[in-house]
Amino acid sequence: MNTILNPLYNLVSGVIILFHKALTPIFGKDSGVTWALSIIGLVILIRIILIPLFVKQIKSQRALTALQPQMKAIQNKYKDDRQKQSEEMMKLYKEHKTNPLASCFPIIAQAPIFFALFTVLNGIARNVPHGYLKGDYLVSAAQAKFFGASISQSFLGSSDTTVKIVTVILIFIMSATTFTTQRQLMVKGMPKMDSSNNMMLQQQKIMLYLFPLIFAISGVNFPVGVLIYWSTTNFWTWGQQFYVIKRNPTPGSPAYEELQRKRAHKAKEENRSKGGTVIDPENTELGQNGQEGEVKGQRKQPKKKKKR
Amino acid sequence: MMRTVTITIIKLYQKWISPAFPARCKYYPSCSSYATSAISHYGLRGVGMSMWRLLRCNPWSHGGVDYAVKPFTSNDKTSVGAI
Repeated sequence: MNTILNPLYNLVSGVIILFHKALTPIFGKDSGVTWALSIIGLVILIRIILIPLFVKQIKSQRALTALQPQMKAIQNKYKDDRQKQSEEMMKLYKEHKTNPLASCFPIIAQAPIFFALFTVLNGIARNVPHGYLKGDYLVSAAQAKFFGASISQSFLGSSDTTVKIVTVILIFIMSATTFTTQRQLMVKGMPKMDSSNNMMLQQQKIMLYLFPLIFAISGVNFPVGVLIYWSTTNFWTWGQQFYVIKRNPTPGSPAYEELQRKRAHKAKEENRSKGGTVIDPENTELGQNGQEGEVKGQRKQPKKKKKR
Repeated sequence: MMRTVTITIIKLYQKWISPAFPARCKYYPSCSSYATSAISHYGLRGVGMSMWRLLRCNPWSHGGVDYAVKPFTSNDKTSVGAI
């Protein structure tokens, strides 16, 4: 087991130590800021590596615009058979070599890192070296404080009130960011659903509120450093999604319609100021997004994203 | 015994965890339902199959229809045809 885990420990501790070395001249070797920022650096590095995957997924989601007629046909043909509908939809994606779904990979890829970080940070508290985090670094990290709380301590593992307060605040941040991210996606980012998906939407709404609770329950076992990692990665997810919803929303979603309106409005304004000999302002704007005629159709029949 | 436990865990995931996130599986049936049927049919071998399925469900795959236990009717083309 250790032959699998050791490279992971090396990787995680190595990246942290690299950031630590880079930040030491600014904040000092033993400063909690240096250590906290090193963990945040690890998150940022991982998320930057994952960006191309995210972009790829967004691109194939947008490529679906061209498949709208077929998707509509499938939905109509198998109105009463959800299974057949999902099946046909998947075949369609495969035939056109575009699949809008993300797969679990981005999560599964992060899980071992998360686990390794968990072990490495717990090792600091128990004075057990992992990977490159040893010797002087281990001593320094054990004393590092994040807003007065040792980064290696957890809510349940420490009797220190400061640790308890800091962990509670971090768990709150984690829950709040997850909540906002999910809510933002549900309210603005997803195509409006037809009645057959209402139950799923209902279920999702319950989850929306239940999930922060699950975080709170598991979060009390995690060291402050892991909570820093988790909060940062949540912030990143939120920001990433915010950007996409604002700048490149899913066709058929409320955010998409908003953007279309804004663009049409802007084009009209520009036309007016120019004295307007341009053909149709809406056409030229929508032309960038592909087929203009289809855009109108999508508002009535949004693409189905959910299948389970 | 182990089968029941594993399948119960997957079912709990399907009921309580998965709905909190947008659908993400590239395949039909999803990796979790694939795993349930694979494990209930093949036991330990099903576990291996499910692992392999999870690995195949990655950003570079195009997904598709893929059953652990083949149903009666299945072919690879859509009935609505290509463009």
